[in-house]
Amino acid sequence: MRAVLVAWLGLITGGALAADLPVDKVGTVLTLPQPYPAHWVWVQDIAFEHMLDGKMILVDPRATTLREQFKGMFNSSNIAAFAQSTTRPEVYVAETFYSRGNRGQRSDVITVYDKPNLRPIAEIPLTGNKRASAMPGRHALAMSGDESLLFAYFFTPATSIGIIDVARRALVNEVSLPSCAMAYPTGKRGFSSLCANGSMVSFQLDAAGKVANTKVLDPFFDVDADALFEKPVIANGMGYFPTFNGNLQVIDLRGDHAVLGARWNLVPEAERKQNWRPGGAMLTGADDAGHLYLIMHPDGKEGTHKDGGPEVWVFDVAKQTRLQRITLKTWGLSIEATGGPEPLLLVTNAEMNIDVYDARTGKHQRTLAHFGQETPLIMHAAR
Amino acid sequence: MITNWLDAITERMTRSVAQRTSRRGFLGSVGATLIGGAALPLLPVARAGGGDGQPAPPSQDPGDPTSCDYWRNCSIDGYLCSCCGGSMNSCPPGTDMSPVTWIGTCRNPADGKDYIISYNDCCGKNSCGACFCNRNERDRPLYRPGTANDYNWCVGTKSIAYHCTVTLILGVATTPS
Repeated sequence: MRAVLVAWLGLITGGALAADLPVDKVGTVLTLPQPYPAHWVWVQDIAFEHMLDGKMILVDPRATTLREQFKGMFNSSNIAAFAQSTTRPEVYVAETFYSRGNRGQRSDVITVYDKPNLRPIAEIPLTGNKRASAMPGRHALAMSGDESLLFAYFFTPATSIGIIDVARRALVNEVSLPSCAMAYPTGKRGFSSLCANGSMVSFQLDAAGKVANTKVLDPFFDVDADALFEKPVIANGMGYFPTFNGNLQVIDLRGDHAVLGARWNLVPEAERKQNWRPGGAMLTGADDAGHLYLIMHPDGKEGTHKDGGPEVWVFDVAKQTRLQRITLKTWGLSIEATGGPEPLLLVTNAEMNIDVYDARTGKHQRTLAHFGQETPLIMHAAR
Repeated sequence: MITNWLDAITERMTRSVAQRTSRRGFLGSVGATLIGGAALPLLPVARAGGGDGQPAPPSQDPGDPTSCDYWRNCSIDGYLCSCCGGSMNSCPPGTDMSPVTWIGTCRNPADGKDYIISYNDCCGKNSCGACFCNRNERDRPLYRPGTANDYNWCVGTKSIAYHCTVTLILGVATTPS
């Protein structure tokens, strides 16, 4: 009681000496800088245990405190697909809703969020509700080279690509795929898809979103013997597709249709005996210099292609050489490289936290944890 | 709970080392399966509603269906319905079984035969959350759906909400002559 009295007297005395704090304004909501700093990243949490309630969290991985790291977020429902515009202050989320949460009337939409406010500013109905729900990749929703169209992967299980006119906010066409999947932007207004027989098909579209021409590559890989991961990185229009066994298939996507490029073994001779292979949930990344980052694991064999790994290997794809082996602090499952001249390597680790490394030196800088993430299985460098 | 994916990976790697000798031989022999030849795309399988759902005697179907080690789980990705109020071949109450699936080819250690396993998702409720298991033998990317476990296979059901996965035997795998 005596202590309380002393504290109370102190409060009164102190209050008399110090100026009052100003009254806070009700209703202040922050906005984000435009453009986002090149090293920011979208962390996509698919909420594997409650997929209805996924989210996109915008993070500054260079910051040292949670207060500075967490920039904002929005929801993304039922394992959404995500794409970013570089010419409009917008990002896009292909998602699925039901009128009663997990039941009721289904509606698939692309929700358009504005970058400064992270508010939904438009909704594009995906008529027919065919959106693919699958473990997230970077090419289930993609922008055309000229950013006039969005390509949304549909799966019913027949596969097709929904063509969305970005300016009109409308689904304008649906292109059936001949047993193929995903949309890898190709040329000005086209896309390519990998196919079940080991081939690739390319479509180029006109301004109305109709197919102007199509080209099919002859089968060039064996899906059973050495499948291409459908999770490439595309840097400066060049697609870099690792294979299950540790090869890299380069595909030129700059023109009207896909053109096969070089294919080379990513694993130096000395390490092949240890069966080093690529693997992970989202196992690829590339920085602005075009360096390729790949999660690797030893003792690879049939079925280890999603295991992740203890190392990230960095490649100069022009010289077809390995630049670096980065030993991870904690086993990695997914990676991303940030933009800008001093890239960061971000690794979703097996504990579902995100380790931040200096991409040039491989030195671990910090671990992003406790920012509301549960299963952040894919990251997208901010654009 | 997927609080630590590493635990699941570590457990699987330990198991895989223990079984490496037999499994490697097995892997080399089943590139071609009952469903299609090596050069043909595998079609999604529609089998929900078929079969009598009666499990085989334990001696012929060995192992614990609530364990990721269970032989039928060789290409599963999700929650084991045996931990969620269902069984290895029956969905939990109130869920709907997806009529289309991906398939795996798993060896039954009791008879040494390779079986075609249909992984039907049970749908309409949030993720079960118990007994997460991810094994990827002969899993292939999304461009070959019939063997791709990365899809949410709650397709053709009233809701795409994924709950858990069952493991139905479709038959014994044979190599085309």
